[in-house]
Amino acid sequence: MSKGIAIIGIGEVPTRIMPERSRWDIIYDVCMQAVKDAGIDKNDVEGVITVAPQAQPQLSAEISFGKLPEELGLKGCKDVCICNAGGASTSNCLRLAEQYIESGVAKIVLIPHVTVHSTLGVDDLINFFARAGIDMQWEYPFGTTYNGILAMMTRRYMHETGTTPEEMASVVVSLRKWATLDPNSLFFGKEPPSIETVLSSKMISSPLHKRECNMLADGGGALVVTSAELAPKITQTPAYKLGEGARFFSAFTTTRTEAVVGEGFKDATFEALEQAGLTKEEIDIWNIYLAYPVGHPMLMESIGLCERGEGAKMFREGHTWPGGKLPWATIGDAIGRGHTGSGVSMATYIETTRQLMGKAGARQVPDANYIFQNTSGGSGMNFIATVWGKELK
Amino acid sequence: MNEAYKKPVPEIQPWTEAFWKATKQHKLLIQVCQDCQAKIFYPKKACPECWSGNLGWVEASGKAIVDTFTVTEDMVEPCFWEDLPYVLAMVQLEEGVMMMSRIVECDPANVNIGMAVEVVFQDITDQCALPFFKPV
Repeated sequence: MSKGIAIIGIGEVPTRIMPERSRWDIIYDVCMQAVKDAGIDKNDVEGVITVAPQAQPQLSAEISFGKLPEELGLKGCKDVCICNAGGASTSNCLRLAEQYIESGVAKIVLIPHVTVHSTLGVDDLINFFARAGIDMQWEYPFGTTYNGILAMMTRRYMHETGTTPEEMASVVVSLRKWATLDPNSLFFGKEPPSIETVLSSKMISSPLHKRECNMLADGGGALVVTSAELAPKITQTPAYKLGEGARFFSAFTTTRTEAVVGEGFKDATFEALEQAGLTKEEIDIWNIYLAYPVGHPMLMESIGLCERGEGAKMFREGHTWPGGKLPWATIGDAIGRGHTGSGVSMATYIETTRQLMGKAGARQVPDANYIFQNTSGGSGMNFIATVWGKELK
Repeated sequence: MNEAYKKPVPEIQPWTEAFWKATKQHKLLIQVCQDCQAKIFYPKKACPECWSGNLGWVEASGKAIVDTFTVTEDMVEPCFWEDLPYVLAMVQLEEGVMMMSRIVECDPANVNIGMAVEVVFQDITDQCALPFFKPV
């Protein structure tokens, strides 16, 4: 089988609050790490496809117009572009990389991301997160926020399923149990909160407490991608892309229903699994990025990993924790990692690769052969499901 | 009308002018496709079902049910601070369409999913009033 792609190198700086580091400083680090990790020469990189950084217009413009391969001296680079689909950007960078590779434009593609939130003004940050994925005519004038949108979705889900606040809080507990084991997490080494701690944190937008919302942070990462055919000649530990499925729901909350989202979760997931030739029982890790707690039990129920209304109980009972039967979001999603804008999707792909390479340290899931992972963009506009493996099927 | 209104105002499109103009008369309109009879929210230039440009309006009863809501208590832009805490909600209009709004004129602690509400307008500029909802 010669079609398809594999990730052969990863680079990442820890997600932290680090206003002292410039964006280009971080770009150097993650790109050089990823190229070295792949064991290739910098001039072997023939394409650079960058994840569009959100709310950083100057950086976006610099990257759009080719500064990255020039700054890094990538002498073999044949073309460059930037790709923006919010939190789903990295998935689309990978698709574009596949096209670069299959069309013959490039044999090896570098996909970087950087976001530094901490040097943006607080007003700019709130402003960006108020405006991205929120309609300027029908939502924003009412005082709509991201937290508010997800809070409303959470309340409706709890109402329909009878899920309790304690069960919802246990999703955060599970995510933070993974995060404390991750040296690249904002919460590395910090004791995971108890259910009581989550529920006693300040109410931000009911029923969401502060610890059920995301903390913004700075970070960066990079992937090196090549064809499935070349990958095993370059590295002994490629992470092969085995399948993909996607569904678009709606740009805005006003025009989205839980039923449509649930169907989309299911359809995209089973398309990806079918393409990979796998059943859901064969998946070793569910590497999920949905940015707030509510999506996790919803997804678990939609794809039949448990009954309707039982999703959050799976988290409470510890099945999703390190050592559990259903390893789930092994960097702890945005809640556990720290929210780096479009970078959480990058961090999730890096973790998927790391687990398949056997380099996940204390989070390493034994015999992780097949990993399901998703990304989503905007305020939950879509769901992109992919399946990755150590070997081609 | 309030010239000093400092909060975001709706970014009106040519095909939504009629909707906002009606809010000044404290009427809530729903766009209806004259060809396929689809009720459209939010209003579009072309019907999202059949792409017809033959679109009209009906006046809504203003009665709705709270589908879901959140009491917003923190982490909002400074212009909304004076409103805290406020109840953001999705309401299902009697005519079948869903819209985002606020529940006002009641204690936030008394808002519930399934609660019956009715439209009430807050005049904010010469161009528009915001349709809020209050318990019936």
